[in-house]
Amino acid sequence: MAREKESEKGKISRREFVVAGGTVIAGGAVAACTLSDASASQASDEFPLSTAYLVYDSRYCAGCQSCMLACSLVHDGAASTSLSRIQIARAVLTKYPDDIQIHVCRQCPDPLCVKNCPTGACHVNTANGNVRMIDSEKCVGCRKCLSSCHFTPHRTIWNQAAQKATKCDLCVDAPYFSKKGGPSGQQACVTTCPVGALKVVTELPSQLDNSGYDLRFAPEPQRGQATTSSKTGEE
Amino acid sequence: MTTPGFAGKILLVNLTTGQTSSIDSAKYEMYGGGHGTGAALFWDLCVAPGDWDLQDAFDPRNAVSLMTGPLAGTGLSFAGRTSVSGMSPQSYPVNWFCHSNFGGSFAPTLKMAGWDGVVVIGKAESPVYINIIDDKVTIEDAKALWGLTTWETQEEIWKRTGVRYGQEWQEFEKGHTLQRPAIVTIGPAGENMTRVASLVHGGGSGAGQGGFGGVFGSKKLKAIAVLGTGQIRVADPRGVRDAREWWETKWPIGPPFAGPEGSIPSSCMGCRRGCHNRNQVHGLDSDNCAEQTWYNLAPPHKGTPYEIQWKMTDVAQKLGLNAMETCFMGPMSFEVPKDFPIQPRIPAYTALGWYMKKMYDLGVIGPGTKFDTSPLPMADIEKPEFAEIYGLAIANRVGIGDLLAEGTARFAEKLGRLPGDFDVLLRLTAWGYQDHWSMPTVEWAYGNLMDSRDINNHDMSLGRKEKYTCEQFVKILASRTAPYNDPLWFDYSWKGERAYKTGIYSDRKAQWVAWHQHYATYYKESVLLCDWAFSNLFNENSPDGKGYTTEAEPRFLKAVTGRDHSFVDGMEIGRRIWNLKRAIFVMQGRHRNQEKFAGYYYRPGASYCGYAPELPIFDGSKWEWVNCRELFFEDKGVEQWKTAFFKVEGWDPASGYPTRRTLEELGMRHIADVLQAKGRLGPA
Repeated sequence: MAREKESEKGKISRREFVVAGGTVIAGGAVAACTLSDASASQASDEFPLSTAYLVYDSRYCAGCQSCMLACSLVHDGAASTSLSRIQIARAVLTKYPDDIQIHVCRQCPDPLCVKNCPTGACHVNTANGNVRMIDSEKCVGCRKCLSSCHFTPHRTIWNQAAQKATKCDLCVDAPYFSKKGGPSGQQACVTTCPVGALKVVTELPSQLDNSGYDLRFAPEPQRGQATTSSKTGEE
Repeated sequence: MTTPGFAGKILLVNLTTGQTSSIDSAKYEMYGGGHGTGAALFWDLCVAPGDWDLQDAFDPRNAVSLMTGPLAGTGLSFAGRTSVSGMSPQSYPVNWFCHSNFGGSFAPTLKMAGWDGVVVIGKAESPVYINIIDDKVTIEDAKALWGLTTWETQEEIWKRTGVRYGQEWQEFEKGHTLQRPAIVTIGPAGENMTRVASLVHGGGSGAGQGGFGGVFGSKKLKAIAVLGTGQIRVADPRGVRDAREWWETKWPIGPPFAGPEGSIPSSCMGCRRGCHNRNQVHGLDSDNCAEQTWYNLAPPHKGTPYEIQWKMTDVAQKLGLNAMETCFMGPMSFEVPKDFPIQPRIPAYTALGWYMKKMYDLGVIGPGTKFDTSPLPMADIEKPEFAEIYGLAIANRVGIGDLLAEGTARFAEKLGRLPGDFDVLLRLTAWGYQDHWSMPTVEWAYGNLMDSRDINNHDMSLGRKEKYTCEQFVKILASRTAPYNDPLWFDYSWKGERAYKTGIYSDRKAQWVAWHQHYATYYKESVLLCDWAFSNLFNENSPDGKGYTTEAEPRFLKAVTGRDHSFVDGMEIGRRIWNLKRAIFVMQGRHRNQEKFAGYYYRPGASYCGYAPELPIFDGSKWEWVNCRELFFEDKGVEQWKTAFFKVEGWDPASGYPTRRTLEELGMRHIADVLQAKGRLGPA
């Protein structure tokens, strides 16, 4: 359904990409260049690049969703998986590594959420490392930032109770965070992740597909003493 | 106004009438949530009306509740478990009111849907499941799910709900979500009303002990599914996140428990522990606990390879079997003297699988005997296929599986082996539950006896410490057991006068057990802090050895609820719930005279399965670590301890009945009135 919607607008979703021989081919779509490495490696004329990007290591995510609860706590003052600006989806009966999906806002070089916002609520915050964020005071709840996000699922978040959209701001505007947030500060999700599977980098990750943000940096889990051995274990 | 941390309402489902209604959580807040609220609901729905004898857990009138705690889903670690309460078909010989709990994402999701818990009464005419999407509750037809495994059931309900994993946001009336419903379900073992059936959520978050899977089956309730798109309000959001960081920094937690080599730890929602594994299919989502060793054969059989153990665990989880009760040995075995009746080593648990094999070896069961072992291929017990057939036979009550489905104690009774086997072969601590590190750490044993199950409180960190002398160690423990702070609580003297003066039969041991039970009843079963981390009296990573108990619990609760309760205030709530539970037991017929350990406790060998047998002993002038592997009880001592314990609790020493004074002091006059009308109130 989402795909149909996006096709109508002449947009493409991540899943419609076929990357072959270094050429990005999008079936019938015309907006592929917005996500190609070539165009993404530099700031667009309109929007300066963000100075920071939230990346993850999907191999060692423990699926605990502590990042989601921390995100909604520091931004909204309440814990909610629906309000979290980082989304971890789990399929606990699916085989590793397909059992966990991580969806982060990519702070796109060419942010369609910003471009399509009719009120300027979704903006590039030049005072805070060019992070793409939404000023809730200006948001009228038109949902254009949701429908214009490149990615499935969209990384802009709908707050049903407030009838407004939100998005990851790298904790620039996190009223319940006791640390300094933002691109040059700390982020609630990163500080809470118990396995070090989240971090913020300053270099623009590859824009070819999701794997550009799925980097290999988390430490391999320490193995505790075997607890269930027939010889030595305990439970 | 609803206290932060609580959703504000509890869902009541009557499966007989098909009606659902809402109960105001505030009415039960004095019981703290979780098991406390479950006990109070049970009292109001099952005991107070006085219209049945409270003996059969499969009676449709049994109320089974699944309750959350105030911290669940708030982002605090080790705090997201779901408590299950109700009458238990597993306990022997009486179906005592009991509790169990499980992790995963069910409790946080239920709260995000706006519910503190679900309580189910009655019985449906045909199989159903309860479907909760925020405020919307429906009772759905589950005829097509009946017979499916726990994993198949969840996959099927996910399909029905239509949330497509990892694709697009699903929009509901109250909000959007990318999450799939959290589902707790039974497998065939529950459907067939075995007494060894668990509730399973996800791959292997399970509530096994208590046998609540059979209670679901008796109600024709296949599953409860919940999807929540709302928010969990907390009093101090900044304080909640900071409390987690403070706790993790001050008392760093060790590496995850090891799963299979190469496995990736995973955790329950909001938790940092990593006690589950991500590579679930043929490798578990079970936590790395007793269920991992479900099929682990005891000597003289060769140790079962890990890979086979893990695969067979999946079998137990899919069938919805209580792995602890139906396993073959447990995690380990211990050396015993050459003249000990169990040879060559003693298994950690003389559970159903082990005992069945022992009966076969002794010629009590098997071809040509009164109890044929068909369909079990006994000659192939070392083959994994045997474990699958064993599990299926129990879950579906086929052949000897029908007897085994009654649980170890009732199986032994049907073979005509009781009470004799309780003295020697069958190490069932109290009420038919497997011994579980209960000795020589006697507070665990006493707790089992005074409660209604294996209390499963792994919180003592006993055993010799390299960095501390024995005296330093007991002083650390004492510093964390407010408000008594008495090092002599931890004297495990078990011989001569000292045993009665400060040791295992003393008033001090009665106080320690009461403290331990009050703590567990509130902080672990009602607030629902996980047993993997709470309580924590001693902590090796702390510079002074002191654990976080007494500091962490009130800080967490204050940040979430805003209530300025001290640690000791919480202990008083634990005492209240514990007294309410005592009243329920007494209404079911509990009397001091019934509270006897199995015979093996009173004989040498009682502590041969002790995991940490080196315990502190005080000789009147100094402390030292002593190996207490030879510790066993004497009847006179246990009776003296019971008298002391009842006095500490403010109960009648002769009967163990609660007294009006104690109940009123705890704000439970209405409980005293019912006990009095039944003639089961202790004298003033």
